[in-house]
Formats: sequence, structure tokens, C-alpha cells
Amino acid sequence: MIATIKSEWRKSRFRPAFLVGAALIAGLTVLAFSANWYMATHPGSADHPVLLSSLYPVHFVANVLGAGFPLGAAMAIVLGAIFAGSEYSWGTLKTVLTQGPGRLTSWVGRVVVFVAWMGIMTVVLFVVGGAYSAVIALFQNQTISWPELETIAKGFGVIWLVFAVNGAIGMVLGVVIKQSAAALGIGLVYLLAVEVIAVRFIDSLSNGAFKWIGDLFVGQNAGALISSITPPPVAPSIGAEQALAVLAAYFVALLFIAGGLIRMRDVT
Amino acid sequence: MQNTTIVETHSLSKRYGNGVLAVDSVDMSVRRGEVYGFLGPNGAGKTTTLRMLVGLIKPTSGTATVAGHAPGSPAGLARIGALIEGPGFYPYLSGRENLKVVADLASVPLRRVEEVLDIVELASRAGRKFGTYSTGMKQRLGVAAALLKDPDLLILDEPTNGLDPQGMAEMRKLITDIGQGDRTVLVSSHLLGEVEQVCDRVGVISNGRLVRQSTVRELIGEEGVLVRAQPMDAAQDLLTRMFGPRVVSRRDGALHLDTRPDRSMEINRMLTSAGVGVSELRPYERSLEEVFFQLTGEKQGS
Repeated sequence: MIATIKSEWRKSRFRPAFLVGAALIAGLTVLAFSANWYMATHPGSADHPVLLSSLYPVHFVANVLGAGFPLGAAMAIVLGAIFAGSEYSWGTLKTVLTQGPGRLTSWVGRVVVFVAWMGIMTVVLFVVGGAYSAVIALFQNQTISWPELETIAKGFGVIWLVFAVNGAIGMVLGVVIKQSAAALGIGLVYLLAVEVIAVRFIDSLSNGAFKWIGDLFVGQNAGALISSITPPPVAPSIGAEQALAVLAAYFVALLFIAGGLIRMRDVT
Repeated sequence: MQNTTIVETHSLSKRYGNGVLAVDSVDMSVRRGEVYGFLGPNGAGKTTTLRMLVGLIKPTSGTATVAGHAPGSPAGLARIGALIEGPGFYPYLSGRENLKVVADLASVPLRRVEEVLDIVELASRAGRKFGTYSTGMKQRLGVAAALLKDPDLLILDEPTNGLDPQGMAEMRKLITDIGQGDRTVLVSSHLLGEVEQVCDRVGVISNGRLVRQSTVRELIGEEGVLVRAQPMDAAQDLLTRMFGPRVVSRRDGALHLDTRPDRSMEINRMLTSAGVGVSELRPYERSLEEVFFQLTGEKQGS
């Protein structure tokens, strides 16, 4: 297992897709903070006024959570699809599987490194978000005060889990389709369109009688878990514990399915 | 006593989901220390067989033992180096880094990377990204990766594919060098000259079936009968009726019969009694190419 993780890390540490992904996450965070800062300092420039105080470090966790989902999650799907699918298109899966470690060992090693990369992306998100909020506070001559460590840790854990689950969607699609381009396309369409439409439709049926089904979708639970850190005006119908359990179940189930396919299928 | 075979298959078969029987009851035996050529036309089932030997594909039926273990088992793979259907590496990494990825996976010390780079003469270009490599360099890196474990058995699937004549000659030399000593090399190819030059024994596969397995010498050593006669068409008709169309072929102004020379008297008697004048009738040694085309049912020059 250690050998597999070592090998996966060696090939992933300078992988352009991950480096670009981390840079994009940083860029998105900067963009979101910059736009909000502009709107806060130019009243009337937006439909929804932004309070300048909401951009200070004490609130930075809420802001990075907003940048992390759904845009960061979409990036996680893309990275997951590329990470798993390219092994087929480059023909590297056969190289990996003929070296000795079993198929499941290879898969678990790959998952460990991917989840570590999602952790790195989360670190980038939080560091850039925290740093930018400090810059805004300094520019506005405000004293810098940070949120409680528990809030930061919870927010970090939530975003890491959201990235990991969405990355797992990308990975399983990459394994099922055996290439990355179609996998990431399908993953993005699912996250940004199919799930939204499906949940709205299900929730509208029989006066919401089937809402419990809509509450089982990934995006709904990711949103609910994020809301548990930064409560919105209207509380979501899904509790934090349930959201955590559903997302964890998705993560395990998706990776189990992909691992099963890798173990059983011929590599042609 | 040490087992003398390193690869052994019994009735090994693979039928794909679409119903295609790619490999049909192959009984194959590769001896330790030899260079074994796995010969067959494109689509004959060579790659599918090799994929089964390294565990990438599960057989539909039959059994195989590779380096004393079931195909694909970690213990067996630890003693096998394989280059299956072209080299598969990460294009954004250098050749050297790609080998380090494989070395980590196979739990091989990283110093071995430089050793195999020297063997395949790629050390000076190992710092370049794999994506920028020429076909020949990619193949060499594939062989280097297969050598990392210093394997007992090296499986090379069409290692000269896509190479220019010079690259093919270099690869042939490399295979010959690698095959010195105790190491077994199993090399598949559809190029007869390549197999003839580097292999001790060959297995010929056609339409998924192993139609022949013997030494190259035995295979080439089988003689045939050459006939020149007038009128040639009449002679060909008579001989085709006598031996069947697969035995008789016409090239270079002569009829070539894939039959034992001791039937020459019978052939002469039959032709002369039918009024055909025989100007030349003699045994001849067939080339591997002729044997191959006869065994596989392929047409020469097609």
C-alpha cells in the first residue's frame, strides 16, 4: 500500500491538472472577494448589497465556503474525471496493473492521493480566502480578528468532504467511461443542471410528498452541510448530521463501485 | 528439480462479450532461458493471449501458469516484466520520472532506474518529457520499464511496432542482448524476419488457435517439392486435385508443394502419365515466411 501511495504521489505532485486546479481555486477566491469588495464599497452597484464587514477575517470561513461550492465542487469533478479517466486514454492502467500490487491496492492508493490533493485544494482555498480578507481589513483600517479555530476546522472539513465526494463522482465516471473528456462533461452537466432540475421536479410532486428523495442528492446535502457552518436566513430541511452521513455514504459507495469495476473488468 | 517451463497454458480461451472468440484453446509452453517468438497475423489473438498471461484479461476457460503462479498474482508479477501493446506512460513526466513511478510501484530501488536507462541507451534523453519522445524512444522506455524488476520473464508485445528499419534493427539487438543468460523473453510479432533472427522457438497463432509450436530450425527445416513443368496450368490443376489448394502455390515460374520430398516419384509419374512435361522436380527448403503463410492460411503478398 505504501509503495502504491508513493508511486501515485510521485506522478501526481507536479501533475498540471492539479496545479492548474489549485491555481483556479485561488483565482476564483480572489475574484469572489474582489467582486464583493467592489460591491461593498460601491453601494448601488448590485441588487443585493454587500456589507463590508462581512468580508473581514472574522467571516472569511463563510466566504470561502461560498467560493468552494458549487464552483470548487465542479472543479473537483473535473479533476476526478481526469485523474481516473486518463489512466485509460494514456494506456497507463496496464503499466500500473502489471507491476505487482493488486488491483484494489492500486485503486486505494490512488484514492488516498486524490483525497490528499482535495485537502491541498481546500488549504489553498482557505489560505487565499483568509489572506484576502486580512488584506481587505487592513485596507479598511480594521483590526484583524479571526473566527474561532473550531469554526475554521469545521469549515475546512466540510469543504474537504464536499470536494472529495464530488471528486469521487468524477473518478467513478472516469472509470465507467474509461476516458476523461466525456466523464468530466457528464459530471459537470449532472452537478450544474441535472441535479438542480431533478430536485426541483421531485420536490414539486404531490405537494412535496417526495421531497425526501430530493433530500438524498449530493448537492442538497453539500448545501445543507455548508449551511450548518454559516446558517442562512432560511434553515435547510436537511440536518447537518444527516447531510454528513449521506455525503460520507456517497463517497464510500462511489469509490466502492469504481474499485469493484477495476477489480472485475478486463483491461483491453 | 527446477521446472523447465516458465509459461504453460492449457486450453486457454477468451471469448469477448460481443461473442468474438479471440483465443481458442491455446496450449502453449515457454521454456526457461529461451527467446520465444509468438507469431501471428494482426488480429490472430497474440495480444489477448499475452494480456491473459499478465492478468489484464481473465480467460473465459482454461488455465495458465506464469513464473510458477497464476496470471496477475502479485508474486508472479514480481518476476515478470511486460510491455503490452505499446508503452503506457504519463506524457507530462520525463522518461526518468516515469520509470521512478513504475519503480515505486514495483518496490524496486531507484538506482535501478539509471541501470535500465543505460541498458536501453536512453540515459542522455531521460530528462525529456515522455510526450516529446519519438516512437523508438517510447518503445525503448517501455522495455526499460519492463526490465526494472530484473525479471525472470520478459514479455514484449510487438516491440518493433511503428519503428523505422534502423529502430527495428536496434530493437532486435536489444532483445538478443536481453535474452542472453537465464532470462526468458516472450516476444510477439507479425514480422517474420524479426522472429527468425532473434527467437529460439516459435508458436504460430492463427484465428485464436496455436497452430504450431517448435524451434525455428524445425519449422524452416521442413522441406517441400518444387516443380517446373509444361504446360504449367495443366500441371497446377493436376497437382491441386491431387494435394488440395492449400498445398500448391505458384510463384517465380514454379509450383511449390508443401509436401514431403519422398512423394516426388509419385508426382512425376502422375504428371507424365497425363502428358505434362516435367523439366525440374526437386526438394527445396521453405522459408519461415512460407511456413507461416501455410500455417495461418494467409495469402503471400496480401
